[in-house]
Amino acid sequence: MNVIGYGLCVIGAGLGISFAAQAVANSMARQPEVQDRLFTVFILASAFIEALCLIGFVVSIM
Amino acid sequence: MGDAFQQVSDSMGELLSTFYPTAAVGDTTAGLTVYTFWMLLACVLLLVAMGVFVKKEAASTDLVPHGFFMNAMEYGVDFVRNDVCKATLGDTWRRHFPFLATIFFFVLFGNYIGMLPTLKPGTGSTGVTGAIALMSFVYFIAVGIRKKGVGGYLKSLAPAGLMLPIRVLVWVIEVFSTFLRLITLAVRLFCNMFAGHVVMGTFAIMCTIFVQPLVHQISAAALGTASMSLLWLVLLIIIYVVELLIAFIQAYIFTLLSAVYVQLAEQEE
Repeated sequence: MNVIGYGLCVIGAGLGISFAAQAVANSMARQPEVQDRLFTVFILASAFIEALCLIGFVVSIM
Repeated sequence: MGDAFQQVSDSMGELLSTFYPTAAVGDTTAGLTVYTFWMLLACVLLLVAMGVFVKKEAASTDLVPHGFFMNAMEYGVDFVRNDVCKATLGDTWRRHFPFLATIFFFVLFGNYIGMLPTLKPGTGSTGVTGAIALMSFVYFIAVGIRKKGVGGYLKSLAPAGLMLPIRVLVWVIEVFSTFLRLITLAVRLFCNMFAGHVVMGTFAIMCTIFVQPLVHQISAAALGTASMSLLWLVLLIIIYVVELLIAFIQAYIFTLLSAVYVQLAEQEE
């Protein structure tokens, strides 16, 4: 049961990070000069999304 | 094969039991757990590093920093000042800089101490992260109350210009989300540190399990299995590098969110 829950959690986080990556890749293709700032925003957003996934991980092994 | 799975799950249980906060000094009621012990070590290290930095800075005759240590410390301070304080707080950054820099360096040193093998990160227990989050929580509420007064701060939680019943509803939700900030700050840092170390430990276990046949007897089949552990070793190194990055990013995020909360409490309507 724990593993199934964690799998669902990974699906959510994977979708979230992939949406963010898609948007960042699109924007970089349109405007390569904002690459540096977009990278920071992307890392921040991924860290927020990833935190949810890690909460799921910790809850599932506790 | 079933044997190997049994071995993995046994080792996992053993690994998880090393993450329980056992007592390092004294007992668990009046003493230090392993986490708080390494947190204190990180504090001492931070104090020494800052002391040396300030002393060297005062003794140097020119403004240019020399050497790796001075450059690294100056970069860290500069990073908090420019990228966190000036970027989010605007004009009042000077007043909040000491608090935010303290939080940043404390979390950073706590995270990096835990990256050394057999050491535990001070920030890998809910007690420590909860305490830092509580400090940040009290700080931004105090800033808001000092700026607007108790009534003014409570009123400013809901945006002005809404109809009365909706405004009450928004106010309740905002109060709830304010208290939620305390929990999310603490849990985010704790989960990142804890889960990262569990994952690294699991990969290390996978590394050792495939080598074991080679230890018992040297044969072609055993060498084939042992080559699997090379793959896990590469994965372990990659995860370790990612964790080094995450240790910095989490310190940055904690500080950035504290700065954003202070800015929200402080802003004029």
